Amino acid sequence: MGRRFDLVIVGGGTAGWMCAAACAAKLDRSRFRIRLIESEEIGTVGVGEATLPQMKDFNDFLGLDEVEFMQATQASFKLGIEFVNWGREGDRYIHPFGTFGRPIGEADFFSYWVRAHHNGTAAPLSDYCFPIVAARQNHFMLPTGKADDVRNAFAYAYHLDAFLYARYLRRWAEERGIERVEGRIVDVERDTESGRVAAVTLQSDARIEGDMFVDCSGFRSLLLGQALGVELEEWTHWLPCDRAVAVPSVRSTDFTPYTRSTRRKAGWQWRIPLQHRTGNGYVYASQYISDDEAAAALLSSLDGEALAEPRVLRFTAGKRRYAWAQNVVGMGLAGGFLEPLESTSIYLVQMAIMHMLTLLPSGRTIDPALPNEFNRVMDVEYDRIRDFLILHYVANDPAAPLWQQVTAMDIPQSLTAKIERFRNRAYVEAYRDGLFGPPSWQAVFVGQGIMPAAADRLADAMPDAVLADRLGKLAQTIERGAATAPLHADFVARYCPAPLP
Amino acid sequence: MHGGGVAAAMAALALARAFGRLGVELLWVDTGDGPSAHTALTAPPDLATFHRLLGLDDRALTRGAAATFNMGQQFAGWGGDDSAFLHAYGDAGTPFASLPFLQHWTRARHAGLGVGLEDFCLAAAAAKQGRTGGLADSATRQSVKTGWHVDAAAYARLLRVGCVAAGVRIIKGQSVRPIPSDDAARLDAVGVDGETIAADLFVDTRGTLIDLLDNDEMVPYASPCDRLLRASLAPFDPLPLYSRVAAHGAGWTALTPLADRTAVAFHYDSACLSDDEARTALGAMTGRPVHDAAEMVEGGDRLRPWIGNVIALGGAAGTPPPLDGAELLLLQLGVAQLVLLWPLDRGAMPEADIYNGELNGSRARVKDFTAQHFRLNGRADAFWSAARARPISDELAAKIELFSARGMFAHFGHEAHVEDGWALCMAGHAIVPRGFDPQILSVEEPALMREFQRQLGAVAADVRAMESHAEALVRARG
Repeated sequence: MGRRFDLVIVGGGTAGWMCAAACAAKLDRSRFRIRLIESEEIGTVGVGEATLPQMKDFNDFLGLDEVEFMQATQASFKLGIEFVNWGREGDRYIHPFGTFGRPIGEADFFSYWVRAHHNGTAAPLSDYCFPIVAARQNHFMLPTGKADDVRNAFAYAYHLDAFLYARYLRRWAEERGIERVEGRIVDVERDTESGRVAAVTLQSDARIEGDMFVDCSGFRSLLLGQALGVELEEWTHWLPCDRAVAVPSVRSTDFTPYTRSTRRKAGWQWRIPLQHRTGNGYVYASQYISDDEAAAALLSSLDGEALAEPRVLRFTAGKRRYAWAQNVVGMGLAGGFLEPLESTSIYLVQMAIMHMLTLLPSGRTIDPALPNEFNRVMDVEYDRIRDFLILHYVANDPAAPLWQQVTAMDIPQSLTAKIERFRNRAYVEAYRDGLFGPPSWQAVFVGQGIMPAAADRLADAMPDAVLADRLGKLAQTIERGAATAPLHADFVARYCPAPLP
Repeated sequence: MHGGGVAAAMAALALARAFGRLGVELLWVDTGDGPSAHTALTAPPDLATFHRLLGLDDRALTRGAAATFNMGQQFAGWGGDDSAFLHAYGDAGTPFASLPFLQHWTRARHAGLGVGLEDFCLAAAAAKQGRTGGLADSATRQSVKTGWHVDAAAYARLLRVGCVAAGVRIIKGQSVRPIPSDDAARLDAVGVDGETIAADLFVDTRGTLIDLLDNDEMVPYASPCDRLLRASLAPFDPLPLYSRVAAHGAGWTALTPLADRTAVAFHYDSACLSDDEARTALGAMTGRPVHDAAEMVEGGDRLRPWIGNVIALGGAAGTPPPLDGAELLLLQLGVAQLVLLWPLDRGAMPEADIYNGELNGSRARVKDFTAQHFRLNGRADAFWSAARARPISDELAAKIELFSARGMFAHFGHEAHVEDGWALCMAGHAIVPRGFDPQILSVEEPALMREFQRQLGAVAADVRAMESHAEALVRARG
């Protein structure tokens, strides 16, 4: 057997330890040496995190026990995101992790709903979606696993403490042979001929060589951005928010199985219920509000006592031109940043890890087809999420300067066409790879007041009375199903109670 | 509806069945264009599903269109020797140890394994041994799909019978004249042999209606062969479950098995072979002299198949790639998309834009699939060297590159063929990926060899449990 392939992960935040854990699960240690360098001195950005259902796939891939994981991370369940004041002041809608309706004819359900809506015989779209109806009642249950049960037509994600998640994965990964190296990186050494990163030097003068490096160093992008000079493609002209102020508060009685995003004067505010506290933050555009003003606005709107001083984070929306350059793969904030409006940060880390693992070079020499493919698929992921985020911004009443700016700005052509097509005939393109699926687009369009003029004509073949009857029965089944689910707080207390910190 | 042959009949039938009950009235002005004599069509598996929507069942196809089952296409002589491979419709091996079979196969090839990828593919093994049909209890658990080979003229007649039953009004029209709106952005009516017929929407499979509205340059596309001669041979016995595309010095010959004959299509490049030489070559193959004039294969795709209120389908939309069942595949995609995007309003039709995007995307991917055969051929003839040098799309280049590097697939929008179809073709064209997923090495070699033996045994067992082509046809005829 030859020398082991040396993989070095730089940075030990959520991204770093997720990557280390995935390597521990997937890579044979007799062929791969995996080290993670982190420094106790450098804090991580970990605030309360909301995730997407794909995270369950990641945990399942590692083989984590759900109960143990939720206890270790003070996690709660998430059925979707509630958007408050988006569209118009006073409006609220939920973007669910599930589909609307169920098949009731040869056309898709949404087309039937549009038709009934125009006839005046439809209930609000949300009434046909189990996870929304359950969420509104603060109820939660696991999917029943029965194919024709409305209580099976959803997925769920988690709210968790990302710092605790990283710590949990660290223990898990170290138990499986991942070597943790403590130390601050002071120098990055590049091979003069090839330009590859050859080694990093720590403050202790220790020199760590690697065949491949994963840059999880956060916004600094130590290897990809600084050492290799891969520039950041900025999207601030579409996504002008560039700061967030975050603060935890005492857990409130309103223990929601969903994240809340409330639109505010200069951005939006998140609320993420964890078992031991509630995570809060105000994402804002610094040109329209000062840090102090934003912090004050945040503190005055908490539904529990603040547990710490507000902390300000600065960021730039965008992504590195190449997520994989030479022998360096950037993940998490080192690879790009999109505001957490749709909880996509951990998802993007997960995608980068899984793609990297399937495209891992078989030796020191890297076939250029591998990074090319990696960069192509990550670009697709970023572009799709970007368009979806921008959609949230463009469809609003322009009551404050930020909202005047974003509702009047030029948007990507790809998004303009999507909006027009939805307005014309409820058309949403379904693509194979990447976020988000048609139900997500439908939820946000309808939720923010973009209504289709009509839908698929195949839906017209069903007689009015039959349609009204089927819709009525479906809403009733969903309502009854949701009522049988326990309160989210009770479910969590029974299923995965976390110890007090 | 304006045109004739398979395209017009298929579109009329699909639209009548979907929208007739909503009060849509369909008039088909049949221009009488039909398939050339001897023509057979290859229907890939997707079309078998589409037939359900058209109300065409196995019984009608086998009794009325001389149909035989189609499990794939064999490419013979494309590598420069007398080797052949089968692009079969099914899984190419079974995943093992949570990793794709292709990765294991690649590793084993590097270690000297001589067994081809298609030997691990149940659909390919079954097709080569003349076995087909579903299995109640499969040892391989591989998917096996079937399409059809049909006689084109008879297939068109079947569709036409369906149209009549579905309430399509059909009139004969020899000279059809488009009558544009005042702004020339759409058609108001057509003049048919002196009579004016107004309509809200026009489907044109001949191209003369949309030509009036279309000011775009055609998007260049040409088959490497600009000439085609057709003939028929006596049916093979037993009937093969696949068509055969055999390369010759200046093109290729496609042999498509039908129940009552074998359709022969002799494709060639007039720069490399004269029409007389081609007729002689085909005559030698069929054993009877050929006197027909060669069909000219002209190339070009419409940039926008839907303009104003006119939709071009079939040949009017563009030249289909000459292999891989592309003609029927593209026609079906065009018709199905039109059903999905049936316009809501007789005025502005914003659906056109979506339709054109979807169809152009699908067409690009379908063309890529056929283009791989030319790019990857291994023959030394001038014709084949030129075919190899033809430009390919960036997407196909990325696909070939990633497959060659790693045995993986770059997926783009509108993919029309499955990964394993690509794998069987690329491996068939003699690509062995340069590298493989290093995680595959955690499987020890003896365990891998045992698994390969097991899979080959399972393929053989499944093949034995299948029925013969003849048995399947008897059952289909009912």
